[in-house]
Amino acid sequence: MARLLQIFGFLSVLFRGATLTFQSLAVGGIVFLIFVLRRANEESEVVKQISLRWIRRSAIALATMQISYVVANSLILMQSAEISLREAAGANFVVAGAIGILSALAIVILTGAPRSQSHAALLLPAAAIIASSVMTSHAMARLEYRAPLVAFTVLHQAATATWLGGLPYLLIAIRRAQSPDFARQLSARFSQLALISVAVLACAGFVLGFAYVGSLKAVYGTSYGAMVATKALLFGLLLFLGALNFQLVRRGPSSSILVSLKRFGEAEIGIGITVILTAASLTSLPPAADLTRDRVTGTEIFKRMAPRQPRLSSPTMQELPEDIYAAQKRAFESGSLSTESYVPGQAGTRPNTPAEKAWSEYNHHWAGIVVLAIGLLALVAQAGHVSWARNWPLIFLGLALFLFLRSDPEVWPLGPNGFWVTFADPEVLLHRIFVLLVIGLAAFEWRVQTGRVSSAGVRLVFPLLIAVSGALLLTHSHSLGNIKEEVLAELSHIPLAILAVMAGWSRWLELRLPPENQTRSVMARLWPLCIVLIGAALLNYREM
Amino acid sequence: MQPGRRSLLRIIPFFVFVSFLIPAPAAAHAVLLESNPPAKGAVAGPDISIKLRFNVRIDASRSRLTLVRPDGSARPLVMGKPDSADTLSAQATSLPPGDYRLRWQVLASDGHITRGEIPFTVTQS
Repeated sequence: MARLLQIFGFLSVLFRGATLTFQSLAVGGIVFLIFVLRRANEESEVVKQISLRWIRRSAIALATMQISYVVANSLILMQSAEISLREAAGANFVVAGAIGILSALAIVILTGAPRSQSHAALLLPAAAIIASSVMTSHAMARLEYRAPLVAFTVLHQAATATWLGGLPYLLIAIRRAQSPDFARQLSARFSQLALISVAVLACAGFVLGFAYVGSLKAVYGTSYGAMVATKALLFGLLLFLGALNFQLVRRGPSSSILVSLKRFGEAEIGIGITVILTAASLTSLPPAADLTRDRVTGTEIFKRMAPRQPRLSSPTMQELPEDIYAAQKRAFESGSLSTESYVPGQAGTRPNTPAEKAWSEYNHHWAGIVVLAIGLLALVAQAGHVSWARNWPLIFLGLALFLFLRSDPEVWPLGPNGFWVTFADPEVLLHRIFVLLVIGLAAFEWRVQTGRVSSAGVRLVFPLLIAVSGALLLTHSHSLGNIKEEVLAELSHIPLAILAVMAGWSRWLELRLPPENQTRSVMARLWPLCIVLIGAALLNYREM
Repeated sequence: MQPGRRSLLRIIPFFVFVSFLIPAPAAAHAVLLESNPPAKGAVAGPDISIKLRFNVRIDASRSRLTLVRPDGSARPLVMGKPDSADTLSAQATSLPPGDYRLRWQVLASDGHITRGEIPFTVTQS
């Protein structure tokens, strides 16, 4: 049970992230089916059948995720509060989960029924899925303005599902449409629906943001506020891509326009997932409006972020705490930890020592030098005059080794804690996953840059990994309290994450857009520039 | 395989891959806003009223309060009827002077569990 508690954080968010994703796919698919495909005819029949199949699969995945979440959370509750299964079954999250599961199963049955002309009946379980999700949202737990907040959350989630969840179905429809005219017709219908969704999403998001953040000072002074601002920025990126799409749809039925439309759609889906993950991460934080004490001030941010010389010498291992897990346990037992709230499995927090901060700054600054070199060489390689510059991805291997050795000095190979601790400490596990991502990045992109592979799929590994890294950074672990050091660290990470998301999807578009699309050459210059900026930002990273 | 299926097949693993890499802690946002006794504060014994206020509605019947005595032994507290949806209350009686810790665990109405600990001192009245 102790181990289950330890990994509870991981399990719970895993289920929640997957639930939100499959919920969007199932509901978005149903809306697409009913409002975009509309009446069945010969042309739409093939697309309709594929859409139904994927709606069914999304619903099955959603039910599975919901069951897993309800079971894991109930086990934790029964064990930690010493209550019976019967008592746990009456909890709000179990009731909400049951509604979600039954609705998903209803969709599975309805989409498996013999062919029918109307699918309006699917709207009922789709609405119930949104309702079940809202039942466990921030809005339901509020004391004030509960009803209007619930209403705006319903609108926010339904609009998200319609737009982002519907996009993959649009891509399928364009691919499978028997004529460019039909594809254009569907794209135009979806664009209209997306426009309405975006308007609803933005209005509801603004109201919710105002209610949960409350003031401009909370935007930069709390983790919640900073994450909401990030979500708004990514939403702006999505709007930009949506505007490019909208323009393409209006231009005409040329085949290259449809290809461009699909490619922008892919990038929109990727950034959309990042926004959904940011939203999932937000649910782990108390609203900024509730944390009025210990907010970070503008002066503190300026003091921390003001440019300074990089730290190029590291403290020794002897200067670091001997065993941070033992120190944490001792601090917890003696009651000297902060009195903040935490989730089961977390051991509370212990402020980092100056040596630990210096260790981390040294890591970030050397990583910054490496990333800066990568970005500059990539820019040179893009210009095409210096052939050896194309080997820039190999520099990532050095970065991987550096991260492996230095990111978690308390764990093997440098520290006293063995290799298996990796899987018990989510932060260490995250760092190790990053190392694997960096190695993969080096291997795939070096082969691409030096012309060793021609496969289109392999070329996409680099942009995908960069974009996934950005998404990971945005969902980096948060403290429930308003600990200044953690908020400041988060403010340092957010620009890196946004730049990584931009680098990944601009490289994706460079590779995927047809040559005649003028945006392609802009994207080709944008991603190395983003990498250069990531390097520069890392060089100015500070923890004290 | 049909091209339409392939396109989603490419997207779904990515959705799942990203979902499985979310490193944030458990979704939870009931945080303690104020307490009586206050954290690291002193209260006159031997009988004390305990009241904890959170930032959101909580499920009081599925939440727990435990008192850790100066000798380290723990005793669950019987909770009283809360004043509002965001509070927990209890009475602790016959407490000799010393350093205590109040451990709390709440289930927020949105299904998330949070915990915390309030160290306090009981003095002679």
